[in-house]
Amino acid sequence: MASLSLRNICKKYPGGVLAVQDFNLEIKDKEFIILVGPSGCGKSTTLRMVAGLEEISGGELYIGDRLVNDVAPKDRDIAMVFQNYALYPHMTVYDNMAFGLKLRKTPKEEIKRRVEEAARILDIEHLLQRKPAALSGGQRQRVALGRAIVREPKVFLLDEPLSNLDAKLRAQMRTEISKLHLRLGTTFIYVTHDQTEAMTMGTRIVVMKDGIVQQVDTPQHLYDLPCNSFVAGFIGSPQMNFLDAKVLEEDGTFFVEFGSEDTKTRSGVKYKIKLPAEKNKKDCLVPYIDQEVIIGIRPEHVHDEEELLEKFPDGIVEANVEVTELMGAEKYLYTVCEGQNINGRVAPTSTAHPGDVIKITLEPGKIHIFDKKTEKTITN
Amino acid sequence: MSNRLFQGVIHQIKDAIDRTVGVIDENYTVIACSDLGKIGETHEVMFAGAGGNGVSDTFVRGQYTYKMFGTPQRAEYILFVEGNDPQAAKYAAILSISLSNIKFYYDEKYDRGNFIKNVILENILSNDINLKARELRFNSDVARTVFLIRVTSNNDVSVFDIIQNLFPDKNKDFIINISETDIALVKETKPGIESSDLENLAGSIVDTLASEFYYTHAVVGIGSTVESLKELARSFKEAQVALEVGKVFDTEKAIVSYDNLGIARLIYHLPTTLCESFLREVFKRGSIESLDQETLFTIQKFFENNLNVSETSRKLFVHRNTLVYRLEKIKKITGLDLREFDHAIIFKIALMVKKYLRANPIKY
Repeated sequence: MASLSLRNICKKYPGGVLAVQDFNLEIKDKEFIILVGPSGCGKSTTLRMVAGLEEISGGELYIGDRLVNDVAPKDRDIAMVFQNYALYPHMTVYDNMAFGLKLRKTPKEEIKRRVEEAARILDIEHLLQRKPAALSGGQRQRVALGRAIVREPKVFLLDEPLSNLDAKLRAQMRTEISKLHLRLGTTFIYVTHDQTEAMTMGTRIVVMKDGIVQQVDTPQHLYDLPCNSFVAGFIGSPQMNFLDAKVLEEDGTFFVEFGSEDTKTRSGVKYKIKLPAEKNKKDCLVPYIDQEVIIGIRPEHVHDEEELLEKFPDGIVEANVEVTELMGAEKYLYTVCEGQNINGRVAPTSTAHPGDVIKITLEPGKIHIFDKKTEKTITN
Repeated sequence: MSNRLFQGVIHQIKDAIDRTVGVIDENYTVIACSDLGKIGETHEVMFAGAGGNGVSDTFVRGQYTYKMFGTPQRAEYILFVEGNDPQAAKYAAILSISLSNIKFYYDEKYDRGNFIKNVILENILSNDINLKARELRFNSDVARTVFLIRVTSNNDVSVFDIIQNLFPDKNKDFIINISETDIALVKETKPGIESSDLENLAGSIVDTLASEFYYTHAVVGIGSTVESLKELARSFKEAQVALEVGKVFDTEKAIVSYDNLGIARLIYHLPTTLCESFLREVFKRGSIESLDQETLFTIQKFFENNLNVSETSRKLFVHRNTLVYRLEKIKKITGLDLREFDHAIIFKIALMVKKYLRANPIKY
């Protein structure tokens, strides 16, 4: 068990490509940290630097109190599980898990103890004498995890370990890995591009883009208080709606206005949404009066139910329904309002059909406002 | 196969030596013996622990003299001769030389792995390939792909053994030591296999080496999938080219497929004199040398952002006008306006050519 400290970590490839810039993160002992971001954002590179598979171009990496920049990977006391795990096809599960230890010349008794302990933790004791061909996808994944567990590392590094599995198995393994983290009580660093995995598994999430950390926070905070429009858009499914709008001020009250005056292609309606008292943050909004901004609203804060339309009359707009998707417990509405897409997650009883023009309300208290140029959050 | 070979030799010499002689394999099992009843018995003698110095070791345990033999790198077998006198040691020495030579020639002649090695390294005449394949009952018309695995970090783990364990089917997959750092894997694949599937397979090799075994860092070059034995040498060369090209242009990639080399493939095949004259033409009076690192980084970002000035300035955290000023400066120095597609493409190719010349890769 160990804490990690990444201080101003950089990765620059010989061609000049800057894969990771100024990465700072303090990871507490037993934390489950998720690195998330789109492909090429530097999350795997960061993990590989922690593992020692990539050289650190700048900055300092501490595991516990020890500076490990120049420590060989094998001496870092970590174990890594990759996406493309491969089991030895002609070996039993036991031998697969023991192979790495045998190579390290670990005594037989010790190997037996560790393999049996890992098998017990992973609930695969009954599979120890089977060969990989006789295992299901989930069982193979557990064996791959077992190979890491037998090393009894201080830190587990997992690089998209579930991306080769189908959706159902992925959901199941997500829970398994969370349970494993609790059982082992070890520090986990987990890389994924799937925001659902990030939200459901991590104690804290690091959102990355273009090699730069955008925000580090708990899942709930990231969701509720994103620091910029990228984080807001990346976290949450379906994605947050973004609309081009303008900030207005009348008698000390702030509004966001969006819509179009173009009557040729649009209906020429402009919607003015009054921001509730808690959003009337003068310090933040004053510099943006009459300026263009981006407003964001999550689909679950877009409503079409009668009582909610009455409850939030300030946010009512008219929209054309393009597509509806019934998901069982909820219904997704894909609508267009004055040329801008607004998607809603509404009750399954909604009667909206494609082609309908309906009234929807954007819950004013849930509107996020972002700077159009810097994409930074003005108010959440 | 070795069992029968050794047994044949021992059977022939058993009358000449009036002692029990035999061979033990790595599992300490007697695989050949002048006393047939002993075959299958186990002799608990350690290979490395017996004396320490590998292949040339002779040692005595009880009533037997033992002598290790095998390839120069690894003692695979132990010969034993009844008796602990100097005469027994002499017999052991003579027999071990004779058995290891027979094994060597036999392997060379009949070993499929050796055959494949000779095919990919072009040590066998093209016309002989099919003859030899028939002799070895080798299916020559299946799809195969050559993966060249280069281990870039030193450690004490036998990468060869690991790969052999990953692909244990010795009738379908062949693992060949090419050099100290390079291992070729000739893998039977499905006809028409997708390039992405091959890359996944290569990914699993790299990940396995990295995850379990002291984080061995490896890169893999993948040749094209070929459907006849004669073409295997080409696939191997392509895997070598892929690694070399990857070294020059994709320094951060661990897997480079010959099928996805893009424009780098063309540049790699150009003669260096032609490249030099192209550079002289594009960058007159060595103008490229006068561009500093920051400017080159700006250019790289500008290309990455599809020649979009606003996007690039945002990514570089500089004002749009600063970027325009830098681009004007580049135009002044090189005569190339990177905002124009034609100029940009010339510049891009010239930069790649320069990179290629500087890296001076091996030509296959």
